[in-house]
Amino acid sequence: MSAEPKRLPPGFEQLEPFVAQWAVKGTAAREQLRGTSTEADRAAFYDAAHDILPKALAYLDGKPLKDFDDGETALMNLMLSLAHVALSIEIQGSEDAHHRKVRAHMRITRSPADRDD
Amino acid sequence: MQLPKDEFERLGTDPIPTYPYYRQDYYELEVAAIFRRTWLQIGHVCELPEPGNFIVRPLEFANASILITRGPDSVIRAFYNVCTHRGSKLVPDESGKRRTFTCQYHRWTFGYDGDLVAAPDFERFFVSKSRCGLRSVAVDVCAGLIFVNLDPSPDQGLQSFLGPMPQRINTFAVARATTFSEYVYDIDANWKLVIDNFQENYHLRFVHARTGGRQAEDNPFGYPDRFEFMGPHSSQTMPMRGGGDVKPKPVQAAGMGKIVEFAAADGLLSGPYAKDYCVIFPNLFVFGSGTSPFTLHVTPVSAGKSRGTFRFYWIGEDDSASKRFAREFLTMMMRDLHAEDRPSIENSHQGISSGALSHIHFQSQEVPCRHFFHAVNSRVEEYQAALQRKPVTT
Repeated sequence: MSAEPKRLPPGFEQLEPFVAQWAVKGTAAREQLRGTSTEADRAAFYDAAHDILPKALAYLDGKPLKDFDDGETALMNLMLSLAHVALSIEIQGSEDAHHRKVRAHMRITRSPADRDD
Repeated sequence: MQLPKDEFERLGTDPIPTYPYYRQDYYELEVAAIFRRTWLQIGHVCELPEPGNFIVRPLEFANASILITRGPDSVIRAFYNVCTHRGSKLVPDESGKRRTFTCQYHRWTFGYDGDLVAAPDFERFFVSKSRCGLRSVAVDVCAGLIFVNLDPSPDQGLQSFLGPMPQRINTFAVARATTFSEYVYDIDANWKLVIDNFQENYHLRFVHARTGGRQAEDNPFGYPDRFEFMGPHSSQTMPMRGGGDVKPKPVQAAGMGKIVEFAAADGLLSGPYAKDYCVIFPNLFVFGSGTSPFTLHVTPVSAGKSRGTFRFYWIGEDDSASKRFAREFLTMMMRDLHAEDRPSIENSHQGISSGALSHIHFQSQEVPCRHFFHAVNSRVEEYQAALQRKPVTT
């Protein structure tokens, strides 16, 4: 990943502070990040991103995945990381630290999202 | 939901002995009586989309590796992954695309159809090439799922073995799938304890308190609406009725909303078997739900170790951001849920394998576990009886 933060498409500037940490390539890497990030980092990202999810998907749906530029790819990967983080926030809550040890045994071995990464 | 009375009478209500769930001698009988002579799912046709594609799969219970190829004629073939010269493992890769397979030891080269096509200095051997083809394994396909049978001459074909199952699973996503998501765990437990966990809903509200969602008030355990037994196979019709007025949280609502939308577009929501959860003997689950189109394959590794492979089968590659998001969300949500069973199953194995108990108990809603035990045990007993009737010749 480039050291320089990627510019997100217009209208999504408020998520740019999260790009460096959360715009991660690969389903297994996103899952790993869910576990290694701090609770505060997850909460900050979730709070900033969850309301924007429908707008971001609607914007990205306007273009085939293969034609995404760097900013659109970053926005896609942010939303995919949000899918992981939301499970910790919306479903696991205070049990997430314990649940992390349980789910660590479940290796992610294939994901369609990784096919053209 | 209660089973018809005659089914209860047939399956009985007695406690079930524990020794089949951990003893090495029983496991070895299961391997001989079941796994070496039954159709076993090993892959999916979408893993071999084009001529030249191949996959290699380990079958630890037989200490074997199986090579599956798709030839230029599009035919899927299966072989022991063993060079016929001196028995070396032929293909070291897990998958790939090639027309021929060359053993690294002495460079014997085999075609997609198993024929020996070239071997250095072959004139010095005392055998013809035509007698040196790879040892083939019986293979067939149903609903996109590839099955093999290690019996050199299986006593029934795959379709006959599956009975009425194909008419159900042919309507599921798996039959039209072109790709899949997959997650895997290794588990310190007998394979039947893993199977049993996935065929009873009694544990759902306890083990999956957060991930399992709320059940309807009139069915707090989420018991199936219907059980059906088809020879050694079975199916359950899942209630799939949420309970209470709990509103899903924003990201979950967005992810599941899109999953429903895409499943509807693929025609997966309204089929007659869309709530059917099928248990294909001995070790495959196929769920008909278009909103959770998963299979679970349980591989026995030893008497006390197994591997669970979970797949979500998808029709078409990700073709939009929404589809990519929805698939990733659903798969990870279900991974959270499926991961939760592992400690319970391992605990169960530890307790049972201590020998503390001579028997365990199944309630009426655990009847698929009872049916499954009988399906396994009757085959083991028939095998033992046949052994006593005739001397072992192979």
